[in-house]
Amino acid sequence: METLLTAVIVLGLMGFVFAALLALASDYFRVEEDPRIAEIMKILPGANCGACGAAGCHDFASKLIAGEKESTGCTVGGQDVACKLSVLMGQANQTVIKKIAAVRCGANENRRIKKAKYDGVKTCAAANLISGGGLACLYGCLGYGDCLCVCPFDAIKMENGLPVIDLKKCTACGKCVTACPRGIISLRPHDFKVVIACSSRDTGAQTRKNCPVGCIACGICAKAVPEVFAVSDNLAAIDYSKTGVDCSAAIQKCPTKCIVEN
Amino acid sequence: MSGLELFGIFFSALLINNILLIRFLALCSFFGVSTGIENSIGMSSAVIFVMTISSAISWGLYNFVLVPFQLEFLRTASFILVIAALVQLEEIYLKKMIPNLYRSMGIYLPLITTNCAILAVAFLAIDYRYSFIASMAYSVGVSAGYSLAIILFAYIRERMALAPIPKWFQGYPIAFVTAALMSLAFLGFTGMFGL
Repeated sequence: METLLTAVIVLGLMGFVFAALLALASDYFRVEEDPRIAEIMKILPGANCGACGAAGCHDFASKLIAGEKESTGCTVGGQDVACKLSVLMGQANQTVIKKIAAVRCGANENRRIKKAKYDGVKTCAAANLISGGGLACLYGCLGYGDCLCVCPFDAIKMENGLPVIDLKKCTACGKCVTACPRGIISLRPHDFKVVIACSSRDTGAQTRKNCPVGCIACGICAKAVPEVFAVSDNLAAIDYSKTGVDCSAAIQKCPTKCIVEN
Repeated sequence: MSGLELFGIFFSALLINNILLIRFLALCSFFGVSTGIENSIGMSSAVIFVMTISSAISWGLYNFVLVPFQLEFLRTASFILVIAALVQLEEIYLKKMIPNLYRSMGIYLPLITTNCAILAVAFLAIDYRYSFIASMAYSVGVSAGYSLAIILFAYIRERMALAPIPKWFQGYPIAFVTAALMSLAFLGFTGMFGL
């Protein structure tokens, strides 16, 4: 009987002491967190992708409150999230230019010209280190799908050795842009649907040898639609700030058909 | 107790009686958290942290409270109480004082409350009648052994993610086979230095 009593007392005391300790500690070590952080976290998509430049959604929320980030900073959330965030932060509503990833290479498995057979590790990063994986073009897509592996939104699939972006799923987080060892993928405005499907900065003659669909920097597009297209460094480029210009003349006249619309 | 004996306790806990691969304790976290190296490093740092402190406190509690009152039979209940309260306390403390460590440990710290290895170390240190210093060496050894095993296993699993594995072996089946092979390899330490 006495043992039972001591057992109950000791265990009860222990429980009481621990509870008191925890209560004291939680008061003493309380962290004052801005209540807006929790509300912002509810609005944010919670993908923790880091596309905004902050280390995850929580970091973005605290930086937004500190004024280091704009309410339009979350590329994944887009216009919808930006609206809600600007209401919460009491800022003027800003429009988000929705972006999307674009693959700037058009040479699929059948069109690629190979100088050698590559038999190494099947990643673009590895193939790029070993003489460009046997590919004649030093700028073109290697086709091992490093971009597909990093995409957190399952928005890239490989079709005939070339990545294809799912326009509905892509959130422009930019992971594929950094993953591609050749820098083929870049972000373009969602509504400006024209892409130069080539990244080659070789001279026109060299590009023609390496690829049937490469940009040979002939400048026909720049003559057809001079507002948008310009050729520099042996490659045509699009000025994506000029919206609403009809580019169909340039697309039709391109001799190697490397200007595509999707 | 000499330094050599302490080293023997540490080494035995680290390799010869490795908590995961020889004693088969804490296997849930071994398979659950070892999918990536970063996760396993986070988990093992949390285990080292909690195991060392909780075994120190439970040793003190057993020898200064339970033994004098002849309440040794209460050790299961009281140790669970100690560990649960301690993990809570550490979480509160870290959140305030070292927020970076708190964020890097993340979910693993509260997960440890239910990690059986922590309780096992507190029990075993008492069963072996270790002194305080020896039980410290033991718990550091066990937690280092836990980290060693889970980080090695995470490296292997990351490699296996890229390997061509038949579909019926993918995921847990191949992980179990690998863990068994690792366990066999660790059996090779048995009898080292006569421990």
